[in-house]
Amino acid sequence: MNVAAGHGASVRVENCGKTFADGTRALEPATLDIARGETLVLLGPSGCGKTSMLRIIAGLELPDPGGRVLFDDKDMTAVPIEQRNVGMVFQSYALFPNMSVADNIGYGLKIRGIGREERARRVAELVALTNISGLENRRIEQLSGGQRQRVALARAVAIRPGILLLDEPLTALDAALRDRLRGELNRLLRALGITTIYVTHDQSEAMELGDRIVVMQKGSIAQIGTPREIYFAPKNRFVAEFIGAANIIESPVENGHLVLPGGRQPIGGDANLAAAVAMIRPETIRVVEAEAAPLKGIIDSVSFIGDRQRMIVSGASSKPLTLDAPNTVKAQAGERIGLSIAPEAVRLLPPGS
Amino acid sequence: MSEKPVHIAQISDLHIKPPGSLAYGRVDTAAALSRCVAALNAFAPRPDLMVISGDLADTPTAVEYQHLKRLLAPLELPFVGIPGNHDSRELMREALPQAYAFPSGPLDQHLAIGGLDLLLLDSSVPGKPHGELEASTLQWCEATLASSPDRPALVFLHHPPFKAGIWHMDRQNLLNAGELAAIVRRHPRVQRIATGHVHRATLTTFAGVTTTICPAPNHAVDLDLAQLREPSFKVEPPAFHLHSWYPGEGFGSVVTHQVPIGEFDGPHPFFGKHGKLL
Repeated sequence: MNVAAGHGASVRVENCGKTFADGTRALEPATLDIARGETLVLLGPSGCGKTSMLRIIAGLELPDPGGRVLFDDKDMTAVPIEQRNVGMVFQSYALFPNMSVADNIGYGLKIRGIGREERARRVAELVALTNISGLENRRIEQLSGGQRQRVALARAVAIRPGILLLDEPLTALDAALRDRLRGELNRLLRALGITTIYVTHDQSEAMELGDRIVVMQKGSIAQIGTPREIYFAPKNRFVAEFIGAANIIESPVENGHLVLPGGRQPIGGDANLAAAVAMIRPETIRVVEAEAAPLKGIIDSVSFIGDRQRMIVSGASSKPLTLDAPNTVKAQAGERIGLSIAPEAVRLLPPGS
Repeated sequence: MSEKPVHIAQISDLHIKPPGSLAYGRVDTAAALSRCVAALNAFAPRPDLMVISGDLADTPTAVEYQHLKRLLAPLELPFVGIPGNHDSRELMREALPQAYAFPSGPLDQHLAIGGLDLLLLDSSVPGKPHGELEASTLQWCEATLASSPDRPALVFLHHPPFKAGIWHMDRQNLLNAGELAAIVRRHPRVQRIATGHVHRATLTTFAGVTTTICPAPNHAVDLDLAQLREPSFKVEPPAFHLHSWYPGEGFGSVVTHQVPIGEFDGPHPFFGKHGKLL
């Protein structure tokens, strides 16, 4: 991310929590700083508080007393949503079904008093940018899901918002369309460079789109980091298992090694522990000859994915391990094999994680 | 105590504009009100009273209240009104002189119809879209409810004391609803709280009392519960509310009907020859 080229406002969420009238806590008080031009993804399962956080930033909800929202260091907490200059794209798009594409895109400009000619110019710009040329005069109800999503995005961006907010915009689309649009959306967000806050439960969307990801669980922030930081250095078991596949091993430690049923595995760094909770990603486990291997197991199954083979191996650890081997490795269910894992690939998680 | 049922019609959010003008560029609220008046005149049994729960005018202007009065002239029932956020207290006092409780300020009223009391509360805040019950209204309401603890009461106000779930309406509902709740809880004779403002037939329980929002005779606020569209309306079927009080044990009972306005196929009999189901 090139911060110097970023547009839009910086955002500070200060001590914002949300408790509903019946006492349920949707969001524990949280503080978050979002840089100008950054794409920040709020990621987590249903009920984790990510949408509450987004709604507080948008101005659709007030934070509990004591919470503040600042745009470019200006306190916006009491400012209603229509004066915050935010563009929003929500799952159900909120378009006017009986208006044309052009009228929908131009609506935000119209209510801000922008004249017809300038509106038309801006609408044309956005139609080109979002790849929907030719659809200007169609009614929304005639469009496909993917086309509607592009119109919703064009509409949100038309008003030149300081902040763009997206709440699961791809969730309602089928898997193949979602994958394709994810790439398009990424290119578009990079081109626009506006401060963007994106909510999703899909970790591959988060990894692809986010400059940083905020992983949330049960109303609290579990970890904030770049996709690499979150993937290679998860802070706890929840984050480790939510992003990518993870083997979680609980075992005693002796002399800097995990003591496992199938052998011993060295851990890198300072391992002055009696027991550990460790995470090992499937792609870091190499299949080797069983003979001299420090860790051995039996292959339960081999699935040929195409670009790799996913193997389940039992006996090495107390629970079966999942590993991704190159697609050229010859191995079969029932075979005894050795496993080689670099010490740095063993990531220690907090005890009781 | 009177043994006769009492029928109170409620219409709401008329948004009458100067003659020839359409509300929001699209809705002929004058024609809608004329159809509503015709429907009420044709309704049997004849309601004892019609309450207009706010937003009688639109801008508001004196011309709009004159237009309203002309449109209501054919109505064969007595009627009363309370202001909404689209009304002016001064213009309404002048155009609709009624037995208001105060000579200036909030247009509160108390009426007794047979065995039923009606309390009409002014929740309008001059110049603002949201509602608030002034201290004088709250005191008056408490005193009026305390004065006849054995009579059932219906309370009318423009702004709902609860959230209907439509984001741009909820932020302009009755902001000091807690104070109304406290009063209502102290007076079990309140049988219904009937409101308007949202242009939808909606129902909930507030402070232990069934609380309603009355549909409008012209257009409805779009039921935008999740989509966060900009504030919009839809021309849904027009209707009015009828609150029917029946005497009985305790405070009797109030049954609220949603009555659609328009021409509908029927009534046709269910049974035919020899009393068999058709």
